[in-house]
Amino acid sequence: MADAGQNTSARKRIRNPQDFYGGLVLAAFALFAIWAGSDLPGMRGFAFGPGTAPRLFSGLLLITGLAIAVMGFITDGPPLEKYGVRGPILFIASVIFFAATIRPVGLVISSFVTLVIAAAATTEVKWIESVIWAAILTVFCVVLFVYGLKLPLQLWPRF
Amino acid sequence: MLELLNNLVFGLGVAITPMNLMLCLIGALVGTLIGVLPGIGPVATIAMLLPITYGLPPVGALIMLAGIYYGAMYGGSTTAILVNIPGESASVVTTLDGFAMAQQGRAGPALAIAAIGSFFAGCVATVVIAAAAAPLTSIALLFGPAEYFSLMVLGLIFAVVLAKGSVLKAISMILFGLVLSMIGSDLETGAGRMNFNIPELADGIGFVVIAMGVFGFAEVLRNLEQSHNRDIVNAKITGLMPTRADLIQAAPAIGRGTVLGSVLGILPGGGSIIAAFAAYTLEKKLAKDPSRFGRGAIEGVAAPETANNAASQTSFIPLLTLGIPPNAVMALMVGAMTIHGIVPGPQVMTKQPDLFWGMIASMWIGNLMLVIINLPLVGVWVRLLRVPYRHLYPMILIFCCIGVYSVNNAPADVYMTAAFALVGYWLVKHDFEPAPMLLGFVLGPLMEENLRRAMLIGRGDATVFLTRPISGTLLTIAAILLLLSVLPTLRKKRDEVFVE
Repeated sequence: MADAGQNTSARKRIRNPQDFYGGLVLAAFALFAIWAGSDLPGMRGFAFGPGTAPRLFSGLLLITGLAIAVMGFITDGPPLEKYGVRGPILFIASVIFFAATIRPVGLVISSFVTLVIAAAATTEVKWIESVIWAAILTVFCVVLFVYGLKLPLQLWPRF
Repeated sequence: MLELLNNLVFGLGVAITPMNLMLCLIGALVGTLIGVLPGIGPVATIAMLLPITYGLPPVGALIMLAGIYYGAMYGGSTTAILVNIPGESASVVTTLDGFAMAQQGRAGPALAIAAIGSFFAGCVATVVIAAAAAPLTSIALLFGPAEYFSLMVLGLIFAVVLAKGSVLKAISMILFGLVLSMIGSDLETGAGRMNFNIPELADGIGFVVIAMGVFGFAEVLRNLEQSHNRDIVNAKITGLMPTRADLIQAAPAIGRGTVLGSVLGILPGGGSIIAAFAAYTLEKKLAKDPSRFGRGAIEGVAAPETANNAASQTSFIPLLTLGIPPNAVMALMVGAMTIHGIVPGPQVMTKQPDLFWGMIASMWIGNLMLVIINLPLVGVWVRLLRVPYRHLYPMILIFCCIGVYSVNNAPADVYMTAAFALVGYWLVKHDFEPAPMLLGFVLGPLMEENLRRAMLIGRGDATVFLTRPISGTLLTIAAILLLLSVLPTLRKKRDEVFVE
């Protein structure tokens, strides 16, 4: 049904949305980069200024981004893919938690909680198993990175 | 010739110290260990294990990383044979006959012949690298800024044309990487660029941040969406060693695979993938009875495995001699070298001969170790394959977090890695390949520097890139390649290679 609809009725519909929106976002990023570097001086005589190369590369990115979007408009391609919700949110949350806590509370607590949050990112989570595994990994990281490789990491909260 | 031998002996002297031997062994072992785990390719493996080399001296760190790389590649072949899932794209063809052999209860000989072939290829490729290094380096030293810039353009175009997917999209990814590499401060004037006066951005975005975000984390996000049921060969693996007949059958395939792989590996982009495919196709064409292929022909395992190992090793040549990484793994090597204060390029060989020759010699040792450790450990790898993904990704997570954080002891880097994880996830959803982006990011500063100098020397005349003979030739080749890749017939051929 969906296929038939795509072929007949939807001449106006975007034929390769993956490329179309992908290209547009890249073009938008290029514009943003051009704006962000607009305060930088450009060519001085023969010499490149600090702003020349960024503008050159951003300009080319803008062109290719738009070209991809146009190609996505006129050629057929796969539909947009669905984004996961639970996985990315919890996984990224665990990374942010690590970044926020590694300094104040130290490696042991920070990595243990990070691992428990991350464990919830999959629907296959088994809680007791995950908590035990988080504890094992924490001990492993402490032994490997702090005692084995002597990285200057704080282990416990600083008072 | 004598000089070559001298250099190799000197390198062996460096590589064979107990410490470096140990690091090579650990690298190969850990690389295989992680490479065998489902859903973790060589790039992610190296990104994830980068932090364990921070505290080592540069020579040891690079020897270990090279070991990790071979280990990860070998781990990829192991999964291809045992579970029909290629660990990395270069072992896609290995699944055809490798898995068929495993189903017939001949997983042992398949794994052994892959290891033996890889070892032979490794021996030859090591000599090829050593032989190619000196002449290429002396050429590179003659290059001016214009030639260097054009060479980088050619390398990037090669990488794009020889990779899978749309050429236009790959070029846009290179440019995306180039723009990202501009963030930070200008090398010549020190002016802050596109950093919004955020102190954490003053030095630009760290290489490790992008590598771990886009290759480590984004891969996890994507894997979390798939279910992880896999059918592991249940037939007991009996008899590891191939029979005499197997060896006689596989020997010519190993020889041809080595030659193909050594040559194709130098090409940027998918050198090792193309080498594996080319070697398999060649064997099938030469075989008296091509119908055996796909049903467990031992040449079908030996040829591509040999070729991809030779290629993955000769892909070090552009990096070590010219300072130009031909693929994502080599881009990671550049990052690792930078962390240890080494600028890759022709001057490494002259200024740090111990590092250069030590690393080359360690490649041979690494390959030897893979044979020694892997054959007895096959049983362990099989058991590892059964580890569920829910136990694996927390491990990747915490290794990457600690790794990113400890480069500068900066929590800001970890936040940025989280952001790049989302960028990488988005790229995958829109079918953009992240590898060219990493190449662009690594080459960005170098390209800008040479472009600027060339323009200054040419007194602002951009035609200097075309009028200087070497530079002009390089750019012409790049233009022809780009044109060829758009031609419909070649396009079809190329797509055939990468579709599987």
